[in-house]
Amino acid sequence: MRRTQLHMLLIGAALFVTAGCANSEEWQIWRSNPTHFASGDHITFSMRNKEGEPARVTRGDVELARQQNWFGKAVTVSQEELLEK
Amino acid sequence: MRSRRLLAAALGAGLIVTGSALAAPPEDRVLSIEQYTTEKGRALGQKYAAALRELNAGIYHCMPWVGVEKEGIGFFRPRHMDSAVRYLSLRITVDQAPSQEFAQWPVERRASAMFSRYVGPLLRRMTAAAGLLSDSMLDGFTVIIDWLQPLQSGAQSVTETIAVFIEKRPVSDYVAGRAMTRDLAQRAVVFGYDGKTALGQLKVAGWEDNFVKTFHVANYQPEPGVTCR
Repeated sequence: MRRTQLHMLLIGAALFVTAGCANSEEWQIWRSNPTHFASGDHITFSMRNKEGEPARVTRGDVELARQQNWFGKAVTVSQEELLEK
Repeated sequence: MRSRRLLAAALGAGLIVTGSALAAPPEDRVLSIEQYTTEKGRALGQKYAAALRELNAGIYHCMPWVGVEKEGIGFFRPRHMDSAVRYLSLRITVDQAPSQEFAQWPVERRASAMFSRYVGPLLRRMTAAAGLLSDSMLDGFTVIIDWLQPLQSGAQSVTETIAVFIEKRPVSDYVAGRAMTRDLAQRAVVFGYDGKTALGQLKVAGWEDNFVKTFHVANYQPEPGVTCR
C-alpha cells in the first residue's frame, strides 16, 4: 500500500515537471529562433497590427527602427568638420 | 504570482512610457544655448528657440523618413567662413533604400538630385519663423544631407553627404517665389563627402522635384493633433 502511494507520487511528480515544459525538439526550435521579436516594442507593433488588416505605422515605430540601428553605424563626415558651435 | 503581476505591470508601464516618449521629437536635436561659443550664436539660439523646436517637430512628424541628427539644428558658423558669420543649419539623414543605379550616377548628378529633392522644402521650413529672414544677425543657411551608399558585402555602411551653404538673399528670393530651385543651386556652395573623405566643392544643378510634397510612408499616421501641410 505504502509502495503504491510512493509510485503514484513519483508519476504525479514526473507529470507535473513535464506538463508545462517544452520537449528537447521544441527547445531546439526555440533556440534556433531566439529573437522572434527583437524587442518588446516589436511586440506592441505586432499586437496593434494583425494579418489581413492594413498596418498602422506611427512615428514611434519609425523612430524605434532608427534607434535600433537596423543599418548599423555608418561611416560619415563629422559635423565638427563642417560647422562650429 | 504577485511578483509576476508586478513584472508584467512594470513591463507594460515601460512600453507605455517608451511609446509616449517617442510621440515627441528628441530634444537633443536642437543645439542647446549653453553650447554656443559666441555671443551672436547664443543670441540667435535664444531668440529663435521656439522656432527651432518647431522646425524639429515639423520634420519629425511630417517627414518621418528623414532623421534630424543630434545637435543637427542650430545657428552654426560654417568652417570655411569668417568667424562672425552665423548660418541657420540643419543636418538630416535620409532613410532611402540604397540603390545601385543611383550609386552609379556621377557624384555631381547624385548631389544635384538630393539637392533638388530636399534643399528647397527644408529651406521653406527653416524660414517659417517670423522675422528670421529680416534678422541682421543671420547671414545664411546650411543644409547637410546624408544618405546611405549601397552596402558592400561584409563592410561597414558608409554615407554620402552634401553640405549646402546659401546666403540669405537667394533664400529669401526662393521662399518668396522670386527664384526657382535652379537659381538656388547656382547661388549655393556645395561640398561633397564620401564617408569621411572630402570630395571638394561640387557643381550642382537644381530642378523642381515634388517628392517631399507627394511622398507618404505607407500606412503612416501622424500623432493625434499633428497636422502636416
